[in-house]
Amino acid sequence: MFWISRLGSILGALLFCFLLDKVTGGLSDFSSRLVVLAGLYVTLSVSLNLINGITGQFSMGHAAFYQVGAYTAGYLSVTYFSKAHLPGFLWIVLMMIVAAIGAALAGLIVGLPSLRLKGDYLAIVTLGFGEIIRIVVQNQPSIGGAYGMNVQPKFPQLFASTGTHGVWLVWLLAILCIAVCRNLLKNVHGLPFLAVREDEIASSAMGVNVTGVKVTAFLIGSAFAGAAGALLAHYEGFLSPTMFTMELSFIVLTMVVLGGTGSITGSTLAAIVLFYLPEKLRDLPPVPVSFLVGAVIGAVGIVVFLKKTIDNYHGSSSQKTVRMILGTATGIVVAAALGFVLKVIPTIGHAAPVEAAKLRMVIFAVTLIFLMLLRPQGVFAHHEFSWSWVKKLLGKKDVPTTAVST
Amino acid sequence: MSLLTLKDATIRFGGLVAVNKVNFEIETGDLFGLIGPNGAGKTTCFNLITGVYTPTSGHILFNGRPIGGTPPNKIAKLGICRTFQNIRLFGALSCLENVMVGAYLRHRTGLWTALSDIPPAIKETRALKEEAMRLLEVVNLEDVANARSADLSYGSQRRLEIARAMATQPKLLLLDEPAAGMNPQEKAELMETVRRIRDDHQKTVLLIEHDMRFVMGLCEKIVVLDHGEEIASGPPDAIRNDPKVIAAYLGEAV
Repeated sequence: MFWISRLGSILGALLFCFLLDKVTGGLSDFSSRLVVLAGLYVTLSVSLNLINGITGQFSMGHAAFYQVGAYTAGYLSVTYFSKAHLPGFLWIVLMMIVAAIGAALAGLIVGLPSLRLKGDYLAIVTLGFGEIIRIVVQNQPSIGGAYGMNVQPKFPQLFASTGTHGVWLVWLLAILCIAVCRNLLKNVHGLPFLAVREDEIASSAMGVNVTGVKVTAFLIGSAFAGAAGALLAHYEGFLSPTMFTMELSFIVLTMVVLGGTGSITGSTLAAIVLFYLPEKLRDLPPVPVSFLVGAVIGAVGIVVFLKKTIDNYHGSSSQKTVRMILGTATGIVVAAALGFVLKVIPTIGHAAPVEAAKLRMVIFAVTLIFLMLLRPQGVFAHHEFSWSWVKKLLGKKDVPTTAVST
Repeated sequence: MSLLTLKDATIRFGGLVAVNKVNFEIETGDLFGLIGPNGAGKTTCFNLITGVYTPTSGHILFNGRPIGGTPPNKIAKLGICRTFQNIRLFGALSCLENVMVGAYLRHRTGLWTALSDIPPAIKETRALKEEAMRLLEVVNLEDVANARSADLSYGSQRRLEIARAMATQPKLLLLDEPAAGMNPQEKAELMETVRRIRDDHQKTVLLIEHDMRFVMGLCEKIVVLDHGEEIASGPPDAIRNDPKVIAAYLGEAV
């Protein structure tokens, strides 16, 4: 019975990946590229969540592991692929494994100082490590230096009819990463990781090998980032140090924190949303100035109202939800009304419409700030998606959860 | 052979001798008390036994084997487990999970079985969960098994710490001020629990406590420390009447 359901899950995952590949095949190059990158971000964010959220080791150098993986795969491919006489697909899978091992070694090197450092101090060390890796690569002509390097082979196409390639492999890796983290937390072996996050002294008094746990977290987390790096190398066919700046580490960290540190569901969804949001904002139409002003006033009003409701409203949670939804709806209506009213003022009414798409990073940043104001513990906090939770939501009777972590 | 032996155990921090040549022996099945005024070195003694500190000189023997300087996680595996004076629970985890961390020490399946979530790991998780649930029953916390441990009342948190330590199945259980902050009713219940742990679960217990009714009513042997030195040891009645202990700690009856 167990193996049937396990086989079902694996087939389901494969089917999902192939369907995604098929669907993406119909999209434009730009859109299918976003689907690939989103998959890589999910892997990065979930693997960082293992280090940062679950084990509580504040690492800010995740881009470095990604880069180590990418350049390991890139260098080996450039040097040996033509001699190996392997089919492109097998070679890429092999590179994924090698890159994972390479990045895991880098993870070990960063993991070792984490045995003595905590919190801010570890953050600084990992940040420094990330920059060191990037700058060393930038100054190594043998791997392209600042010019970057071309990588062969590129992904072979799964469906010959479509222009897309590699979507399924990227998402398979993301699903594998999610599955590994979820399995860890589901079994008793995940508890020492959470225990180390909560209290190291108490953990070791209970027989937990704190050193071992931290190093394991860094090994697994960096291995997945490295494998993602290998896929990036073969997808892009080109690598350059500018692809792995500090900014990347910060974005991935933001995904983890915003999703809710420790929640796998949170980091997965946050990765997808935060990756797509700035891209989708490119499509915003020009907005008349009056509506922009209305939107700003409306947004601030909604956030202040929601914050006050969360903090000060004493009622049942369903009353609170209704109040929040009504408040938000009112805010939107008021914002739209303001847009029409302000049009009457000549200086505002006659001004040229604003290209809202140019403001996309401002909107993105403000959204992050508002979210953190309203929900500092992250959208999912410590919670995970589970079927019993869905059933509860649908109003069925409480079902005992199978997971250890609730 | 005694279960735990301290032979001239000493630790200095710079010029301060926190524990100075302390000697005592705990036999299997003892309910042993460690008392003394604040700053006498009681908790430091615990830290020496559990490997947090390495003794500067002297020996600590557990089952005849020297354990001074062994790291805490290995001490726990040898069969000594403790609770903390300032409660150190895993706050964000549920009560059940807290106890399961203690039970995890006896896991047999490897990390790979857990990462791939195959039956050996699942079965082990289920077994340890049931075991943890039974321990929660011992300390009367089965009703709050799924509550966050940080949300518990002070007295319940102290009992949860005992259950967590019990989950490692120690031969010797060290309790650091288990009754601190409890009301008389809770203290009476705790005395009953500790006695049950010794009698029904066959544990040897060493405890630090300031409540004399608790210590005298529970322990069969007591060691008194003052300024890092052992000033008396023996059964409760002898301690109660010992002039040195009265001068240093208990005070005259009014």
